[in-house]
Amino acid sequence: MRNILIVAAREFRQIASMRSFWLTLLIMPLSFAIGGFAPKLIHGDDPSRVMVIDRTGGGEAKAIEQRFTLEEGRDELSRLSRYVQRHHLERADPAASWAQHDRWYTDADVAAFVSSGGVASAKAKIARVKAKDTPEFEASKPDFEFVPVPASLASAPDARLDDALKPVLKPADKTIEAVDYVILIPATFGQSPVVRLWANTQPSPGFMGPLQEVLTRDLRTRFLTGQGVNAAAAASASTIAPALAISTPPPGGGAREAMLVRSILPLAASYLLMISLMLSGSWMLQGTVEERSNKLLETVLACISPQELMYGKLLGTAGVGLFMIAVWIGCGVFAAYATQGAISDMIRPALDPLTSPGTILALIYFFVVGYVTIAVLFLAIGAMSDSMRDAQGYLMPVLLVILLPITILMQAVVAGNTGGVLLEVLTWVPIWTPFAVLARLGLGIPTWEVIGTAVLLGVFTAAEMVLLGRLFRASLLAQGQRPNLREVISRMRAVPG
Amino acid sequence: MSVLTLERVSKRFDRTIAVDDLSFSVEPGTVFGFLGGNGAGKTTSLRMMLDIIRPTSGRIEVLGRAPGRENAADIGFLPEERGLYRQMTALDTITYFGRLKGMATADARREGAALLDRFGLSANIKTTVDKLSKGMAQKVQLATALVNRPRLLVLDEPFSGLDPVNQGLLEEEIRRMSGTGSTVVFSTHVMQHAERLCDRLLLLARGRKKFEGTLDEARAELPARLTVVARQDPEKVAGVESASGQGEAETGWTRWDVRLQPGVAPGDVLERCVADGFPLRRFEQVHASLHDVFVHIVGTPETQA
Repeated sequence: MRNILIVAAREFRQIASMRSFWLTLLIMPLSFAIGGFAPKLIHGDDPSRVMVIDRTGGGEAKAIEQRFTLEEGRDELSRLSRYVQRHHLERADPAASWAQHDRWYTDADVAAFVSSGGVASAKAKIARVKAKDTPEFEASKPDFEFVPVPASLASAPDARLDDALKPVLKPADKTIEAVDYVILIPATFGQSPVVRLWANTQPSPGFMGPLQEVLTRDLRTRFLTGQGVNAAAAASASTIAPALAISTPPPGGGAREAMLVRSILPLAASYLLMISLMLSGSWMLQGTVEERSNKLLETVLACISPQELMYGKLLGTAGVGLFMIAVWIGCGVFAAYATQGAISDMIRPALDPLTSPGTILALIYFFVVGYVTIAVLFLAIGAMSDSMRDAQGYLMPVLLVILLPITILMQAVVAGNTGGVLLEVLTWVPIWTPFAVLARLGLGIPTWEVIGTAVLLGVFTAAEMVLLGRLFRASLLAQGQRPNLREVISRMRAVPG
Repeated sequence: MSVLTLERVSKRFDRTIAVDDLSFSVEPGTVFGFLGGNGAGKTTSLRMMLDIIRPTSGRIEVLGRAPGRENAADIGFLPEERGLYRQMTALDTITYFGRLKGMATADARREGAALLDRFGLSANIKTTVDKLSKGMAQKVQLATALVNRPRLLVLDEPFSGLDPVNQGLLEEEIRRMSGTGSTVVFSTHVMQHAERLCDRLLLLARGRKKFEGTLDEARAELPARLTVVARQDPEKVAGVESASGQGEAETGWTRWDVRLQPGVAPGDVLERCVADGFPLRRFEQVHASLHDVFVHIVGTPETQA
């Protein structure tokens, strides 16, 4: 055991002395941090400015603005509802629409929410019941701002608008704020469906959707009144919509969002296992290839057995992998405490699985055994290769076989697909078992399946250690060309001694 | 008790017999030379002694035990193909191998520093191996073999690739180890080193032992030779097998290369010359070199192939 620890410590120190190790270690939290800010950097905080030139008398412009206000109210109400559900704050006002999460909010719901004081009123009620460490609900900024039409544009003939709008959409003076969208509702709207839109960027779906809806509704109303239907009936016919009741069954506590939040830890464990294995495994591979190409092995093997060398390398690399994960988790915890907001808000329910000893045990078992299962493969590849170029020849197919299905698996789990033949196959094939079981833990996986796959994985890993251990021993001092499959099998069958 | 014993040891790789029925033993304090051409089985034999590979048949005893890592604390090993961890410092490298041989970290560091100092590398203690010259790295490698003050030092072709300065240093270290009572076993195909250092020799060809004994015993395998300056052809003198003229030494006198019959001592021939009144101006025994003995016993690489 002493020699294993000495080798492991050397492996750890060697990898930790590499610049690439520290760069990789920092890249992960940095990319998460940048990822968090990226949407803000890409989209900016400022709302898009909208101008509506309505030649029909102003009714259409008003309808469009009201519609956008309504959509923003619905968005705010939905966010508030999710916040209340996540923190179990329904008791603040059980009758309020934001305390009922089982339906799509209708226009009437949104109107009632706004008329009852909106976010400010809801926050006041919530403040009376929420715990001190529960974060405040942050109201979002509106996505669109409607700006008045200048007199020069209001009176400009339609044919001249193309030229007249250029300085409005792209002002030469950088101090003047540009208008992002200009909509022209011609006087003939109703008889003709044509509406013109100028935009300084590609129009976003969030803008086009409500706009289309308002204009379509008005066109239909105008059409129906033209057909002799009275105005009130025509308006009602245009606004008829189903009231959707939404329910999401357990496991996961009900809503899909809660399920995903609970899946974060197991999914993250699966993802971290993959990332840390790929990184530390490739460093271990480099180390083993270095020992072979630098003719170091004979000196080492005169002091310790090949088994001690193998276990030492595995332990050292596992140490590196776990250290990386510990640092990343540390960064996550730090971020959670530092932000006291959205991240901690997400992390708390994500830690729910840790209240179950069985889940903790399964997380640790599949993570550690999964690590060993894949790391041994890297080690055997290193022992058979005289150079990194040689090693790449073996490594690429192995990586593809392992990673490709895992990528599909992750996407399936994130999309909430917990059934399916592929998921079952990945769960029961040992090289994919750790990733599949870890990823599925949050969404729910039968206990018998966890135990069955754990036993199968244990047996597979033990057999793998024996066979690849023989391959490792037989390959260490072997020289010459890269062994073919037949030679590899023959080395695995060779019993040492 | 012998430090190293091999009894009827054979090693087969598929259809190739690398070592064939090899038996010998090495006594404590001896410098033992393992001589043979390429592919003679030297490295395979040494690897079996260190348990890096196992024999197909036969018995090996090292320091009174079967080969194994439990002997590592008492053995120093310098392989033919040498290499070091490029990113480790000289001292860390020596300490690492010292620890693998069971030394405490502090002892290994202290001994490592002393060795580096003795080898003139005290200024490079913290230099990583990739920044050392080849000669410096060779010294560090030697230090990894010596750090545990081994009772048995096993060196596989230790002089190959060494510059003359390091060759001298290694010879000095071998003598130093022998002087402190350690046993040194080294393989080589360079006869001059063996001639200068070895107490006993073993000649190996195609895995089989061809000779084992002292340097004098090895030389005795060849008929004695003389360089003689005489007026007449010495071939007629009793005990002489052949004589060939090597040119005029001085006016009227010729230099002769004389080959004696097997078992005839040069002193007997000198006595006969005096008794027979055979005039001589020079009578000198020519010692056979180990190279000659090797070629005589084992053959040239061409004849071995």
